Amino acid sequence: MVHAVKTDKNISKRFRWIDPFQEGWSIFKESILGKIGLTLLIIFALMALFSFIPPQIDPMYHPMTGVDPEISHSTGPSARHWLGTDFMGRDLFSQLLAGARVAFMVGVSAAFMSIFLGTAIGMIAGYSGKGIDTLLMRLADMIMVMPTLLVILILSSLFGQLNIWTIVLIIALFRWPGVSRVIRAQTLSLKQRPFIEAARVAGASHLRIIFRHIMPNVLPLSFLYMTFRVTSAIIIEAALAFLGFGDPGTVSWGMMLQWVWKTGHMFNAPYWLLPPGICISLITLSFYMLGRAMDEVLDPRLRKEEGAG
Amino acid sequence: MALLEVENLSIGYRTRKGYLQAVEGVSFCLEEGKSLGFVGESGCGKTTIGMALMGLLPPNGQVTKGRILFEDKDLLQLSDSNMRSIRWQKIAMIFQAAMNALNPVHRVDDQVAEAIQAHNPDLGKTNAMKQVEGLFQLVGIPEDRMRDYPHQYSGGMKQRAIIAMALACRPKLIIADEPTTALDVIVQDQILKETRNLQREFNLSMIFISHDISIVADVCHDIGIMYAGQLVEYGSREEVFRSPCHPYTRALISSYPTLTGKKSQLTPIPGETPNLINPPAGCRFCDRCPGARTSCKTEPPAWEEVGPCHSALCHERKL
Amino acid sequence: MELRRYIFRRIIQIIIIFFVILTVLFLLFRLAPGDPVSRMIDPDMTPEDAELLISQLGLDQPLWTQYVYYVKNFFTGNFGNSFHYGQPVVRIIGDRLPNTILLFTSSIILSALVGIFLGKIASWHKGKKTDTWMTIGALVTHTVFLPWLALIMIWVFAYKLDWFPITGMISEEVWLDPDVGLLAKFLDVLHHMVLPLGTLFLIHFGSYLLIMRSSMLETLKEDYIITARAKGLEEKVIRDHHAAPNAALPVVTSVGLSLAFSINGGALTETVFTWPGIGRELVFSVSHNDYPLAQASFLLIAFVVLVSNLVVDVLYAYLDPRIRY
Repeated sequence: MVHAVKTDKNISKRFRWIDPFQEGWSIFKESILGKIGLTLLIIFALMALFSFIPPQIDPMYHPMTGVDPEISHSTGPSARHWLGTDFMGRDLFSQLLAGARVAFMVGVSAAFMSIFLGTAIGMIAGYSGKGIDTLLMRLADMIMVMPTLLVILILSSLFGQLNIWTIVLIIALFRWPGVSRVIRAQTLSLKQRPFIEAARVAGASHLRIIFRHIMPNVLPLSFLYMTFRVTSAIIIEAALAFLGFGDPGTVSWGMMLQWVWKTGHMFNAPYWLLPPGICISLITLSFYMLGRAMDEVLDPRLRKEEGAG
Repeated sequence: MALLEVENLSIGYRTRKGYLQAVEGVSFCLEEGKSLGFVGESGCGKTTIGMALMGLLPPNGQVTKGRILFEDKDLLQLSDSNMRSIRWQKIAMIFQAAMNALNPVHRVDDQVAEAIQAHNPDLGKTNAMKQVEGLFQLVGIPEDRMRDYPHQYSGGMKQRAIIAMALACRPKLIIADEPTTALDVIVQDQILKETRNLQREFNLSMIFISHDISIVADVCHDIGIMYAGQLVEYGSREEVFRSPCHPYTRALISSYPTLTGKKSQLTPIPGETPNLINPPAGCRFCDRCPGARTSCKTEPPAWEEVGPCHSALCHERKL
Repeated sequence: MELRRYIFRRIIQIIIIFFVILTVLFLLFRLAPGDPVSRMIDPDMTPEDAELLISQLGLDQPLWTQYVYYVKNFFTGNFGNSFHYGQPVVRIIGDRLPNTILLFTSSIILSALVGIFLGKIASWHKGKKTDTWMTIGALVTHTVFLPWLALIMIWVFAYKLDWFPITGMISEEVWLDPDVGLLAKFLDVLHHMVLPLGTLFLIHFGSYLLIMRSSMLETLKEDYIITARAKGLEEKVIRDHHAAPNAALPVVTSVGLSLAFSINGGALTETVFTWPGIGRELVFSVSHNDYPLAQASFLLIAFVVLVSNLVVDVLYAYLDPRIRY
């Protein structure tokens, strides 16, 4: 008997989690934006993966420390260096590949953290209401008006060079309010629904209601916001590196642009100026397109039949 | 001569799930100064008919068959600009107040004046405003509330403003789509009374669309019962109420309580309306019909005269 | 009346937020690792001057007293001296503020207006070529990496084509020439402003276009649009008079929400174009460890963002009678 109940529960749980994703995927497939975005992202992911290969071939292809012994200034594309070299003879192509890795790392981890924070805070604010809600939302308002890039600049002036994980952490700490507002609104409306009431009457604890009943319903929305947060994290890191406040130990696309700009090569080395900028722009574009396609999947209004009756 | 004659009107929507036949083979006519009521559940196609009369079907909707003769002109053949000049000047509409029928960023009187000026471009703002004043007096909105925005109005006031707007160009025909839904009973009663008075005063023809048969019974000379895109019973109010013929009509009448009538058992109608994307071959009501026979499922019923000015779409009469 | 109460409430909120920022910044500057005194006192100062400044800023006092001094100094405009310029910070940022406001406000107003206008057109041609190209254009310009776009603008329009000056805000020869009139000076600034303004505009208008477009499409489904159609109005009147004013409201909201993002972009643009604004001053002071200047620039930028937020809120209330009354 007990066993039967258990499997029953499992089945109902699996239905709740997988079905919407499958249905979503079928709508997603119809979206051109989504398909382009996904394709671009796969290309960038491959770039990030392949970034491990060049240093294996020859140490001079190491994006940070590898220097071509025969070249001591910036040169254009050649068979030896597909995109050319920077001012000290480092291979631009392997820097570009390494940049993809950093972008993914920064984007996804910062987005993940900020979404985690935003979802948790949003659910708590929406569920508890009253004082805690007001307090958290005022805090969100406050953080929302702060220009994240400039905040990180001030912090780095106080704490010295920030390493990449600190930057990621700060980005996450400053990018949760947008998500938490949406999740809070969603939680507020969920709270009114009968099944929450039923769970409460049945004696479920607050934590259980939040995790079992509210979280599964707000998570799709969180994932949607995650794609948008990825773009903003990548842009902030790139801008920071561009201004010279990036982690000096990593080669990111923003860093490459900072080098081409600061060493005065921007007018005579298009092979150096163009690729990193195009990459940053395209990766943001593709995450953005992915987000918009997911938006379509999640927007119930678009699925509603028009004007029948 | 009838003011409005609709013959065999069919309307469909293209939807994501397939082609939806929202209205099928509906015919009726309306004389000047008379009123006609359409009753049915939501989704039965009554609003679609109203919109088709105004030429305002959504882009995915289309009249597939039939004619709409208004003052002997077929509205379906008119050009866009001709149709535009008929709208509001000849045929106006009263929308639900609960709907967002008034634009939230414009003042109410401006919205009424706009309708007047759109059809009388030479009138001038001040003259139009004078007319608006008169209209608002007519429907009982105090003068100091004229310059308000819609959100400052109560539901009843919004409805009055919408009625004033419908009267703005002195139309021949007014289509009222659920005009009193979402208003409380007392306001509902007031609005209905006013509407009846105005109709008499201006010799208006009216089409009333409602899900509530008691409202329609209150104001209309003729009644059409709609079910799943089809007119299933049509006749004068007295006839339909005295001897309801279609089982759906009977069910509708007994499912509404009346304030004045004798106490009777309220009976809900079991079952659901059929899917209009693939409608059933036979009678559409047979799944919910207490007296359905096997032949009902396969054979579509035909119109039968059941009395003077009273007909129904049902197999029952054949026997 | 309602409007006045609404604005009053917003002002109170802004004052509170600003005080929190002020306080957090104070704590950060005093409690961050390293010597707080060295952060506020120019290492090149004579000991006597340094002594004077220390007592002025209350750096020899306990933290609480320091905070009181700090707030008092803030309101009297005493931010100390810039290490780099050797001048009072307040004079430097006072110089830079108008330049930033000029670039910031004109870029936001321009991109919002153009975005609203084009978004309206795109929605009207939904599914057609105009719409597709506008949407693609907006998506691409919106996601382009700003500093890179700025570099490309300089490279193409200032370096290759030589249409505009590469950097700065004014040409010295124009401004030092006593015979040059006000109009010429104005045109000179305008000439310098085209590229930075164009960069900011390109980055921003796309998102407003996209928001306006989808908001228009939503609005066109509203019941009052059916009313307007039923009234027999011309399609153009329906679009411009009935749909657009409602559809523009979310754009205004989004302008407010993206102000912080815009000021980030403003700082980057100012830096690349060496536009003498506060954003560039902040970047510069941070990389040169000019703490007093960095602190004051940051506070001022936060202030600018908060005040523009208020302006946007008031504008919204003005456009939406549901808030005004």
